[in-house]
Amino acid sequence: MKQLLNFAGVDPERLMLKWVSSAEGPRFAKVVTEFIEKVRELGPSPLANSPVKKAG
Amino acid sequence: MNEQVKEYVKLLFNEGRIAGFLGLRNQDGVVTPHLYKIADELDNGFSVGDFKGTADARYPLSRILMSILKADTENTYGVLLRGCDDRAINELLRWNQGQSPDRIVKVGIACSQELADRHECRKPYPEDIVAGEKAAPAAAVSVSELDSQDLMTRLDYWIKEFDKCIKCYGCRNVCPVCFCNVCSLEDDNLIRTGDLPPENPMFHLTRAAHMAGRCIDCNLCTEACPANIPLRTLYKKVAGIVQDEFGYTTGEKSDGKSPLNILGPDPGHTAAND
Repeated sequence: MKQLLNFAGVDPERLMLKWVSSAEGPRFAKVVTEFIEKVRELGPSPLANSPVKKAG
Repeated sequence: MNEQVKEYVKLLFNEGRIAGFLGLRNQDGVVTPHLYKIADELDNGFSVGDFKGTADARYPLSRILMSILKADTENTYGVLLRGCDDRAINELLRWNQGQSPDRIVKVGIACSQELADRHECRKPYPEDIVAGEKAAPAAAVSVSELDSQDLMTRLDYWIKEFDKCIKCYGCRNVCPVCFCNVCSLEDDNLIRTGDLPPENPMFHLTRAAHMAGRCIDCNLCTEACPANIPLRTLYKKVAGIVQDEFGYTTGEKSDGKSPLNILGPDPGHTAAND
């Protein structure tokens, strides 16, 4: 999936796949928080400026 | 080539080996798939797909054949096939989309070098050839060219291409290995419906992801696209990824399942997926 994104010109770092069980609430929170921080660092997605995206 | 194939199929009919032959027919100036039921019918417009040029009239005969075999569970059928059709039949069988490979009589034709190069074909001939000479496979130039660009160039390229999409679903409908009863591309929860062009790039990336371990590289999608989006380049890349990651080549004759068609044991929580 990451390689496909890379080929399509989207930074693969913007995708995270993780296995979290439904019984692992704290772990889920941790994983998501970490990823949000990472995405903040990466800044707005280049796709956000795509005219098509705005149509929604 | 036309005559050679025709004679061969007539022989199959006369020997009683096939109940019907799925091929192409030039009728009133249009080449379409046709199921020949008797040998004499072959004299009326039999075609190997040459319309205005060489093989410019191709159809997913493999998928059509599977529905014929499903409707008629007794008889054996012949089919006109090129390297791509051969791969498609193998792939469809691997995905359980046809149960009786023994009821298929393959009438294979090899594509010319010009055709192989035009379609960037990875194997322009079927396993068994009735007519034509084997041509050399063409290199995946379209993929390596894009691979050598940087991330932003690639993004611009694809966004521009995907913006041309008129959402006709032609790529999906012509695809020999698109057999799902319910299509993700029409699910409003996955991809917003009603947008034109469709959600960019989600629509096309979704289709690309679904082509993993399936796309047999026939180039029908690109050929069918009215907006000339180089879809196959994208799927060719996907096929390359599946090859690298799982060592799986689509369209080969084998009993093995496609890696994305395997339901493994529950992974549980291990260090490997941490």
